[in-house]
Amino acid sequence: MFQIRWIWKNMDEEYRKKYLVGLLISLVTTVMGLINPFLSAELVDEVIVNHNVDPMLRLLITMLVVVCVQQGLRYLMMIWFEGSAQNVVYNMKSRLFENLQHQEMAFFDRHRAGDLMTRLTGDLDWVRHFTTHIVFNLMECFVRFGSTLVFLMFINTKLTLALLAAAPALLVITFVYSKKIRPLFMDLRERSAALNTAAQENIAGNKVVKAFAREEYEKNKFREHNKAFHDANLNINERWLKFYPGIDLLANAMTVITIFFGAFLIMEGELTFGGLSIFTSLSWALSSPMSTLGNYLNDLQRFASSANKVIEIYYARPSIIDRDDAIPHPRADVKGKVEFRNVDFAYGREKVLEDVSFTVEPGKTLAIMGSTGSGKTTIINLLARLYDTKNGAVLVDDCDVHLWRINELRRCIGNATQDVFLFSDTVSSNIAFGNPGLSQEQIADFARRAGAAEFIEKMPEGYETVVGERGVGLSGGQRQRVALARALAMEAPIVVLDDTTSALDSETEQYIREQLNELPYACTKIIVAQRISSVKAADEILVLDKGRIAERGTHDELIALGGLYYETYCLQNDIPYVAADQKGGE
Amino acid sequence: MAKRNTFGVDENLETPFNIKHLLRAGKYIKRHGLKMFIALIMASVSAVVALFIPKISQWVLDDAVPNKNYSYLLRLLLIYVGILAGSILLNVIRARLMAHAAQGIIYDIREDLFAHLQKLPFTYYDSRPTGKILVRVVNYVNSVADILSNGILNMVMECITLILVAIFMFGTDVKLAFVIVAGLPIFVGWILLIKPRQRRAWQAQSNKASNFNAYLAESLDGSKVSELFARQGANVGTCKELLAACRKTWMDAIYISNSVWLFSVILTQVVSTFLYLTGVYWYGGGLIVSFGILSAMSQYASRFWAPITNLANIYNSFINNIAYLERIFETMDEPITIDDAPDAVELPEVKGEVTFDHVTFGYEEGIHVLEDINFHINPGESIALVGQTGSGKTTIVNLISRFYDLNGGAVLLDGKYDVSKVTLKSLRDQMGIMMQDSFIFTGTIRDNIRYGKLDATQEEIERAAKAVCAHDFIEQMDNGYDTAVSERGGRLSQGQKQLISFARTLLSDPKILILDEATSSIDTKTEKLLQNGIDVLMKGRTSFIVAHRLSTIRKCDRIFFIGNKQILEAGSHEELMAKHGLYYQLYTTQMGKRDSE
Repeated sequence: MFQIRWIWKNMDEEYRKKYLVGLLISLVTTVMGLINPFLSAELVDEVIVNHNVDPMLRLLITMLVVVCVQQGLRYLMMIWFEGSAQNVVYNMKSRLFENLQHQEMAFFDRHRAGDLMTRLTGDLDWVRHFTTHIVFNLMECFVRFGSTLVFLMFINTKLTLALLAAAPALLVITFVYSKKIRPLFMDLRERSAALNTAAQENIAGNKVVKAFAREEYEKNKFREHNKAFHDANLNINERWLKFYPGIDLLANAMTVITIFFGAFLIMEGELTFGGLSIFTSLSWALSSPMSTLGNYLNDLQRFASSANKVIEIYYARPSIIDRDDAIPHPRADVKGKVEFRNVDFAYGREKVLEDVSFTVEPGKTLAIMGSTGSGKTTIINLLARLYDTKNGAVLVDDCDVHLWRINELRRCIGNATQDVFLFSDTVSSNIAFGNPGLSQEQIADFARRAGAAEFIEKMPEGYETVVGERGVGLSGGQRQRVALARALAMEAPIVVLDDTTSALDSETEQYIREQLNELPYACTKIIVAQRISSVKAADEILVLDKGRIAERGTHDELIALGGLYYETYCLQNDIPYVAADQKGGE
Repeated sequence: MAKRNTFGVDENLETPFNIKHLLRAGKYIKRHGLKMFIALIMASVSAVVALFIPKISQWVLDDAVPNKNYSYLLRLLLIYVGILAGSILLNVIRARLMAHAAQGIIYDIREDLFAHLQKLPFTYYDSRPTGKILVRVVNYVNSVADILSNGILNMVMECITLILVAIFMFGTDVKLAFVIVAGLPIFVGWILLIKPRQRRAWQAQSNKASNFNAYLAESLDGSKVSELFARQGANVGTCKELLAACRKTWMDAIYISNSVWLFSVILTQVVSTFLYLTGVYWYGGGLIVSFGILSAMSQYASRFWAPITNLANIYNSFINNIAYLERIFETMDEPITIDDAPDAVELPEVKGEVTFDHVTFGYEEGIHVLEDINFHINPGESIALVGQTGSGKTTIVNLISRFYDLNGGAVLLDGKYDVSKVTLKSLRDQMGIMMQDSFIFTGTIRDNIRYGKLDATQEEIERAAKAVCAHDFIEQMDNGYDTAVSERGGRLSQGQKQLISFARTLLSDPKILILDEATSSIDTKTEKLLQNGIDVLMKGRTSFIVAHRLSTIRKCDRIFFIGNKQILEAGSHEELMAKHGLYYQLYTTQMGKRDSE
């Protein structure tokens, strides 16, 4: 079974040993479980039947010692099983977390957060439960059954074989059951993930829910998922109850056969009373493993369907990874030249970029403008290799980004993203996010350059203020400035500003623009913006239209061109716009 | 506002453990009381029926075999199989009832918890991580289900067994019965001794698990930023720390919890040892204890202690799960600070008059964001709010929708409806709010726009999309309005997300329109086109616009300049310009820069 090998792989050497010793203890203590019934029989025979008190103390002490040793060992065994399971879960979760951290954006387009959460919590809990409880219980089931069977063989072969008559039917019925129940457990698992996702989205989007007074709608939506989960659970129960009578009847058939066929054999003179009493006293050891087998099979199926879901993302390797022949680029040597060569990009069939080419020399500034959805952010995502190009090449320092080590590449880019995601941490940790070694003074300095110092210092706890998830507690403009400070604090040879001043008032924007020219380190700048004032001073301005570069040049050149850029310029300055072709006609 | 919680901080529960959590759970159990009661009867009947089975084998061996009575043997066989079939049938019925009870209980708890969460204010969500709320709704509720259904049933069954055995035991021999029962106080003493430690251990465990969950949820949310800043290494480090804490607290709890069965099994053996010793001592001392009684008592001893061991196990899971139950009830107890007043009335369709009457507000005790704000807005008037980032513009608009309650003063609609005295739904249904943080739900683009009006037709949806200039880009996508989108997905640009949530707001056809930086990520050309749509929309509606680009708000009827917790200036663009005050300064610096461009 692949899942078991997977668990084994995730167990450290030390715990593997403990786990195996634990299984050995399980074997030994199962056998030890047979000692006390024998001693107890002797006790009854000697003390109660024969009125012989002499061996009593010896027997009692032996029994007590056996129980203490047996249960002590089992305690140790459980601790080791729990410890090993924790070790497995720890290793799996770390690996999964790491895996998720490196997944490309396309992966998150396919997998919802709630679903991923289910895999790392509920599903992995089944892996833990399997490792701790199911394995040894299943083993004990079979050991008890098998050893009892061998023992009984010696006493009476015929009766033992008669007992086994029920076994094939039992095996068939449990096998059929396993097959039938599997899809239901898979269904349950999906329902549980859907429930998780529904709750997760509701919590994350609670502001919109409230703004639209959609609480009732959300409740109804959630109720559907809750109901589906409820029904899936009951479905499984119903299916189990269909098979349970058969399984239980067959398991009990062993006792029935023992008593009645045994009685028949005695009557036929093939078995003694003593022989039968051994059979009856041990028949529970045959039937109880069989009737609990059903429960363990349920758990096993449940484990399997959960484990498969985890394995799916455990082995999902990101497609954007370092190539074997990646060339190291020490940060100090990076100049910061950026080049796009005939780059095409599409999400599915939807073209986003077509034949985009440009070069930015080290220390220069490139500005990108364009309408909503024209592909501006995509250019930046390609530069940081969040996605891979379909055609064409992206080069940094004349080296294709595919030949860079990804982390080295990204550490060369101070990226102020459009979606200002801050982590629930202190303001200063957020600013130093990409450069954790910064001193308090440096952090404050970058905050000042980003126009954030003033409001941060006004907060009661200043730089130590903890912001909420996604930056809750700060206004949109404040968040943008912290995100900007975070990008500048990278001290990277390439600085990318993706519409980072949209929520700022123009004074602050002006201030930031000035600060950008006086950064304490040399860098190439790529600025995405909607406002002419932000892009005007750039060495080159690209105007994107539907994924193509429609216009390029300096501010003055583009004004003279009288195209899209000029149109925007007019709109922003309340100058009546005359389209270029009309102008030409004049 | 309570101090903000993050993944690194435990949420400590101050309330001491008490039985009230279980009693409270009783409310949920009671709804399924009948099912559980019938199940209990079924279980008792099968238990009694099972007593006959040894009897049958006795008849087989004592009567049928010595007499070689084959037909009697066959009869007994049929009876045996009949009993077996009967008890299986009873078990099926019981299992079905209990499954319905257990699933019903979690269904109800989850539903109530979720419903309560819907009523909690922004401050609740703002002050703790998503993952910590999520884990309660999903994982914790699942955990308590079994204990509240089967746990309780088994507990009752074991107690009944215990009492029956005790009666037989005391009926047989009182003195030896006392020897057997003597172990009980020791056992209970042990349980009481470790209980506080055990409870603390499981609480710590649930805390650490919750911390990990919070971190995981946030990391998934912010994976793009982590990737861009190449921070994965450090994040994995944090993750491992949290996981190590989970593992440690789990093991701590396991050491204590597992000691319960260890103790009870050993104690059982000790008790039976003493039983023999005392029995034989009394016998030897000439007391009237026959060997028969001793034999019976030794059997009773194991039958008496078996349910105790079982009860100990059930108790164990109670303690483990009570930590979860506490968290669930803690959330349900979270005060709904913003709720319909007891005498709240439905807000009838408003004309759109908005009055702020001496409004004072602060997010935190004693720190005011707004102080003594007064204004009156006529129906259909458009108001622009300007001022520095963080000056309280968003706060003002949030107060109209009553996302927060005031510290002083009142917000009135149509001059007579205090927003705190009407039902929230009727109030917010008439508001169209386009927030700074738009949120895209997982689903299709159509679903997302329809969120503004659940029964909207495709035509209405398209009309709204066209009005905000979103129709074209939507049509260009692979599946048009049926394109699947999500909050974190890379499919939509920031500007496109804004346009979609804009369409959503328009579709709701509000009486009062609030646009909070609605167009910040939208390019100038689209924004201009959008402006025409907005102008049409604003006709006949009261509207509030928060924007930084002054060019977009010049046409508003009145402009409020917010600063220093006050409205510093108010008036139309022309009036404020003529006044040569703060607005004038702001405007001229902004425009002046453009002129020089």
